[in-house]
Amino acid sequence: MNLITVTAEWLTDPAHWTGPGAIPQRLVEHMGLSALALIIAIAIALPAGLAIGHTRRGSALAANLANMGRAIPSLAVIGIVLPFTAAIDPQLGFKLYPTLVAMIILAIPPILVNAEAGVASVDADLVESSRAMGMGEGLVLAAVEIPVALPVILAGIRSGATQIVATMTLGAIFGSGGLGRFLVEGIAQNDDGKIFGGVVLVAALALATEAAFALLQTALTSPGLRSSVNRRAASGVPT
Amino acid sequence: MINWGWIVEHLDELAGRTAQHVGLAAIAVAVGFAISLGLAILAARQRLTRGPLVTVAGIVYTIPSLALFAALVPVTGLSILTAEVPLVLYTLLIFLRNILAGIDSVAPEVLEAADAMGYQRATRLVRVELPLAVPLIVAGVRLATVSTLGLVTISGILGDRFGGLGFFIFEGYRHSFATEILLGAVPSILLAIGVDRLLVITGARLTPWAGARPSA
Amino acid sequence: MRFPRMLALGASLLVLLSACTTGGGSKPTIKIGSVGFDEARVMAEIYAQVLEANGYTVDRAGIGLGSRKVLLPALESGQIDLQPEYIGSGLADGYGGASTNDSVTNRTELQKVLDGKGGGITVLDYTPAQDTNALVVRKETADQYSLVTWGDLAAVQDELKWALAANCPTNPVCAEALRVVYGIDPQDVTLLDACSTPMADALLNKTVDVAELCSTGPEIIVNGWVRLEDDKGTQPADNIAPLVRNDYLAKVDKAAFSKLLNDVSAKIDTPTLAQLYYDVAVGLKDIKDVAADWLKANGFVT
Repeated sequence: MNLITVTAEWLTDPAHWTGPGAIPQRLVEHMGLSALALIIAIAIALPAGLAIGHTRRGSALAANLANMGRAIPSLAVIGIVLPFTAAIDPQLGFKLYPTLVAMIILAIPPILVNAEAGVASVDADLVESSRAMGMGEGLVLAAVEIPVALPVILAGIRSGATQIVATMTLGAIFGSGGLGRFLVEGIAQNDDGKIFGGVVLVAALALATEAAFALLQTALTSPGLRSSVNRRAASGVPT
Repeated sequence: MINWGWIVEHLDELAGRTAQHVGLAAIAVAVGFAISLGLAILAARQRLTRGPLVTVAGIVYTIPSLALFAALVPVTGLSILTAEVPLVLYTLLIFLRNILAGIDSVAPEVLEAADAMGYQRATRLVRVELPLAVPLIVAGVRLATVSTLGLVTISGILGDRFGGLGFFIFEGYRHSFATEILLGAVPSILLAIGVDRLLVITGARLTPWAGARPSA
Repeated sequence: MRFPRMLALGASLLVLLSACTTGGGSKPTIKIGSVGFDEARVMAEIYAQVLEANGYTVDRAGIGLGSRKVLLPALESGQIDLQPEYIGSGLADGYGGASTNDSVTNRTELQKVLDGKGGGITVLDYTPAQDTNALVVRKETADQYSLVTWGDLAAVQDELKWALAANCPTNPVCAEALRVVYGIDPQDVTLLDACSTPMADALLNKTVDVAELCSTGPEIIVNGWVRLEDDKGTQPADNIAPLVRNDYLAKVDKAAFSKLLNDVSAKIDTPTLAQLYYDVAVGLKDIKDVAADWLKANGFVT
């Protein structure tokens, strides 16, 4: 099929692997910014989710956050942030900050909600007996609740990561770097090879991210819990 | 910062683009549901197809939408097919998962009773299992609709004709015109949340026998 | 549940390209298209409105369809019937032809190329106005490096940050001409939408030092920027002419139709074009209003 050959040619053309705007640069931009966004999102959402789950206060807020997080169109989030960051910093406020901020905002709900749900659903008897044994609240959280809730927490982080990678792809529309640039430029230049090459790269990165976190999830899950993991994975929304 | 006068002048465009937005989403959800129902019935009857179907749908779901829209450009150009096909594909996993979960959720005793009453497998599926799966199916419709409403904005990459409210985001960006960007971003968020709430209420009314709302 | 369905139906009709003609008569529906940036869209809108004022029905679904590389196949396949094209760049970027500084030559060449492709498209008369690619710098930059011509840019190209049009790499009169004629192939290049506000903003915000803008771009004058001279004449004469499908012309009174558009084109000179572009891009006026006002002011509609 012609499309396949054109794409293969584009992907194997050495000119596309060196120099500015080439595949390695875009890949690094994409992964780098995504990693940064994920770390910040985890730093914000994880403690909040753990706290809400542990104290069981504010769970209604968490539920609402889940609903809103699933409903909000990611492009709109970038769009809303853009005028504000552009006003603050005309240079990076267009290319960098809107996408970065949007990625963080969109990743917070799945991470927070899963952390909350995971911790809150730890067997109440288990928690009670830990307290009865004399464990302080912090220890209960750290030594009992988190390990038991770990698969669900990780599923939330995985969902957030996938969301972030996808939003970074969208950011290319607004001049942020990343693999999405190949899609945007390819459409403008009507270059089928570039479009499809970009599609392959973006899909590969998205699937690899999903797979990597799934592996992490399985690896870090205590064997006794493994069977119940898959049923409780958070449902992300396509971006 | 916001040019309210400009917004007032463009209210009719806002209405038009909103209608377009809803229309594009409605077509995708309807077509996606029809296809998914067929696929789910297939998966329920031929156990072996279930795994592959769900896996493929899951893979498609993970691929960022911009990539899927772009992938179709060399194939179907900048036509409505290019806009609708990805939207439909993204609903498949949601619907498949929910319809199948709904079918799975029917208690074994009910199935046994149906068999005892003489239902064939096919009839049992259509007249017993699916109707009882309605709560989860309704939840699936809600998820699929809301996610599709979000993805419609991205179809704006295909040109001025598409994008629904997303058109304003793209156009506003092209002109560095914050008001226009917000004219696209805010209503699209409100639309998505509003429809989500609406479907929650509708779903609860349609399934009065389902006590706690099942979330998928 | 009927209203939402009706809304969806109505909306989907809005969305679907309607290829239905108005059923006979000598003024069948014409599908007009254009590339995505403002100047092209306002030209398409002007042609559309003058046709409507004279009894034609216009399908505007193709306006802002995409880039040139998308428009030309759409025109060739009949998805659209008419699009305003820049005769020099269209020849070079669209068909790989040899564009020149001479408008007459460009038009003849373009027609020849189109005829060679099955003879299905006619180039009508072109506007006096020209809008070609311009390399623009801020005044301070021009002063600092003593920049007057593109040749001057070549000497300091890697000390500057560049922004070029998204289709520049594949456009013979852009990347290739820069590289071959001037030796310009800079390291630090950002690709942005052609002739767009973000491109101008990048220059304004000092994110880049050199930007590729349309020569009629209003931002150049508004910001007091310096447009550098293409001293080796690589940029083509880029007048605007409507490209129309012959099978559409066959359905109408060709002479009357052509005269209608030619009369409009004749009145659009470079300052006019620049003003139209300004009104839409900087004045943020509606394309439809700008077109309507101009047509009225020039006696084409009442």
